[in-house]
Amino acid sequence: MKPSEKKYIRIRIFLVGLMFSIFLALIGTKAVYLQVFCGSWLSERASNQYERSFACRGKRGSIYDSNQREVAVSIDVTSIAAYPKNVKDVPSTAKSLAKSLKIDPGQLTKKLTAKRSFVWIKRHVTPNEAKEVRVLKLPGIDFLPEHKRFYPMKTLFAQVVGFSGMDGRGLEGIEFYYDSYLKGADYQLTVLKDALGRGFGVEKSWDADYSGNNLVLTIDRAIQYIAEKSLEKAVLEYSAKSGMAVVMSPKKGAVLALAHFPFFNPNSLRDFRPEVWRNRSITDPFEPGSTMKIFLAAAALESGGCTSNTIFFCENGAYRIGRNTVHDTHSHGWLSLQQIVKYSSNIGAVKVTEKIGPEVLYETLHDFGFGLKTGIDCPGETTGSVSHYRRWSKIDTGAIAFGQGVSVSAIQLITAACAIANDGILMKPYIVQAISDPNGRLIKSFAPCKVRRVVSEQTAKTVRRIMTTVISSGGTGEKAALEGYSVCGKTGTAQKTDPNGGYARGKYVASFIGFAPEDHPELAILVLIDEPRKNHFGGIVAAPAFREIAHETLHYMNINPRQGGERLTVSRGGKARG
Amino acid sequence: MMFDRRLVQYFDWGLLILTLSVLGIGLVALYSAVTAGTPTLQKSLYFKQLIWYFAGLVMMVFSFVFNYKTLDRWAPVIYIGCICLLIGVLLFGKYVGGSKRWLSFGSVSIQPSELVKIAVILILARYYARHANDRGLTLRELFTPLFLTVLPFFLIVRQPDLGTAMLVLLIAGSITVFVKIERRSFIYLLTAGSVSVPLVWFLLKGYQKQRILTFLDPDRDPLGAGYHIIQSKIAIGSGMIFGKGFLKGTQNALSFLPEHHTDFIFSVLAEEWGFAGSLFTLLVFLILIIWGLSVAHGCRDPFGIILSVGITAMIFWQVFINIGMVMGLMPVVGVPLPFISYGGSSVVSLMICIGILMNISMRRFMFE
Repeated sequence: MKPSEKKYIRIRIFLVGLMFSIFLALIGTKAVYLQVFCGSWLSERASNQYERSFACRGKRGSIYDSNQREVAVSIDVTSIAAYPKNVKDVPSTAKSLAKSLKIDPGQLTKKLTAKRSFVWIKRHVTPNEAKEVRVLKLPGIDFLPEHKRFYPMKTLFAQVVGFSGMDGRGLEGIEFYYDSYLKGADYQLTVLKDALGRGFGVEKSWDADYSGNNLVLTIDRAIQYIAEKSLEKAVLEYSAKSGMAVVMSPKKGAVLALAHFPFFNPNSLRDFRPEVWRNRSITDPFEPGSTMKIFLAAAALESGGCTSNTIFFCENGAYRIGRNTVHDTHSHGWLSLQQIVKYSSNIGAVKVTEKIGPEVLYETLHDFGFGLKTGIDCPGETTGSVSHYRRWSKIDTGAIAFGQGVSVSAIQLITAACAIANDGILMKPYIVQAISDPNGRLIKSFAPCKVRRVVSEQTAKTVRRIMTTVISSGGTGEKAALEGYSVCGKTGTAQKTDPNGGYARGKYVASFIGFAPEDHPELAILVLIDEPRKNHFGGIVAAPAFREIAHETLHYMNINPRQGGERLTVSRGGKARG
Repeated sequence: MMFDRRLVQYFDWGLLILTLSVLGIGLVALYSAVTAGTPTLQKSLYFKQLIWYFAGLVMMVFSFVFNYKTLDRWAPVIYIGCICLLIGVLLFGKYVGGSKRWLSFGSVSIQPSELVKIAVILILARYYARHANDRGLTLRELFTPLFLTVLPFFLIVRQPDLGTAMLVLLIAGSITVFVKIERRSFIYLLTAGSVSVPLVWFLLKGYQKQRILTFLDPDRDPLGAGYHIIQSKIAIGSGMIFGKGFLKGTQNALSFLPEHHTDFIFSVLAEEWGFAGSLFTLLVFLILIIWGLSVAHGCRDPFGIILSVGITAMIFWQVFINIGMVMGLMPVVGVPLPFISYGGSSVVSLMICIGILMNISMRRFMFE
């Protein structure tokens, strides 16, 4: 090589180096542009494509009975969803999903080809199903945590507690009424997604911050069970259409049991007819029949100038009012107010009303809460119907006196009876006693709430004493008598109206309302049997169920029989008189 | 040949250290690419690549122990051998992803097109070392090198592997321009080249046209043809200045990046190590390229000079095309990033090249 040539080569090598450096500098500049100038914008683009937000709902709060036993709980379940755009092979995906989840593949194909970014494939799958689909590792198929409502007590409480839907919203009963407390908060859950749309980090445990609050009911599972069992027995025994039983604490207005037959299981809602879902003791008005006579007696004693010994002539069993004739089951001559109640004389009741006048009856019924909502914390409460006394015809006035021509709800009836048990003070009925937050801290508690004084303490005491005679020998409610306790009660046998406005033949509502013990009532119980077929008298159909519920509940609540004391008083009184 | 102590004295330690640094970057980037978020299947790739690195180091040593001047003699044999392998690929090669690029020898598959690059450099170096002159090469003198280049070019195009084929042309072109072409001939060639470009368009396959259109406007079809390049740019850009951290690249881990262990490995690196990481990598490559040219600079024999310039040009073009592609400066062509992308044939052939550079460098004191 010549020296000049050598130098020339060196220059060429240098030029090659310069060119290569310029080219790499170009790349370096592009790196500056992308990473320094566009960095934040491209980062955002990156997170937009790997982050996906879901609207999530926190866990729904639990419902407990008065002894902190779970009545309704939410459990964690998995739901399977798809992002149709990310599904790679629709026919094979549909086929394998159909096999694992036992769904129709045609329907699946339709879902997977839908022009939507998100579709549910199957919600609330079993752990095994979820596991089976998970191992398939199908692109575009995702697993989302959800909650499923579960009612561990099955049919017990069902109508009272109600149920909530798939999306965690209360639809019936307490679940509906207290939905704003029970429901979990809505929030956005951000998860990482890979290019195939598979989620990462979804299955983290749920934050308690989003969970709903818990409710504590006044209902006691044990009493509810007693009530439901006795009610079922009575309904089946008399081949009735349905029945209700309400147990309440008269001093507080707290509902201790609220039973409805036929039962339904909220865990398998669709197996039952929607009409049995309803909390009928709150929503359905009915004509109460003779149980109303206790309020008539209260009205007569309080403002009608009567005593329990005031006597009325009972027309020997048939009494004509205008074109209508009122009949008694047994014909009676002269009866005292006490006896009218004891033998449940309709004519007697009409005579009492004639004496005290419709206004007094109306005002008293109104004060007891008839025709008004009790304000119980359940949805769909009926007011019942008691028309104004100015619109009452003569026969209306008579009929209302023995509980026909008015309609009431079971809860109204027992709440009113509780006022008599509670020395004349009407309490507001309630079913939820406390609300606690997800960590168990109390956030609200409901104290018993006094509505008004309806009658004087003395009147209430007198009515109670009259009511004990119903249970005594010869009274209509003999079968409700309890060994060891003095019981107050009243039977009711109401004819049901037919859709044409008249009374349906052979369709009755048999009922029994009462409380025990007489001097300091701890329990008020209403048993109502709708359309019993074998017998229709409240004293025969409903009284034994009352007796059973009262007997078992008093034992459960450890309320001691006072037979010794009671007898002693009577005998001493007898001696004094003698 | 007597053992010369000066061989040890002149050994190019700098080049060795540079090479090992690039291999180090490769190990880190590949670990990210195969580990994060991907099925375990790919983890075995990491160990395979380690074996290839080791094989490459052995081949490197093997390539500097003998005097490179023997390569001048062996160049035709090597060239013909490689051409035979390319023909073998077309006849017996196995299909992977729609093209025949591989020859299987038992459990090992090689990509002859990688070795052909060295063969072309060798044969051209041999030819130009004999024909280079002050006035420059005339068209008649250029006919032989053109034939020697175009033959493997078409064989590789037939596979088809347009990226590697273009690379062969670029390397040959660089060498030819380096040794000087006579002015008039240069103008002829330039004119012929610019006329043939539109013709090439009609020879391209549909997907290749698509890639070029996508390069011109990546957002034309963001979920289709433009997807790769958009995702790659997002990965690089979202690394920002200092990166997301080792194994924390979301684009990589969440499978947004295509071919993340082969052609798009630079995106993985840039996402996790940020601008700092990409700049460092670019600088190491720049130093390596300048080092290669300095080897040419220190060499006194034309064959050695042209050989080292050719090898350097090969490394440069691969770096430029690969990184340019992942950054959206170029259409998507399958060119691996030297030493860093996963691939045994590429690593081994590059290590042979480094060995040859070392060979030339350590024998620069030897006179004819």
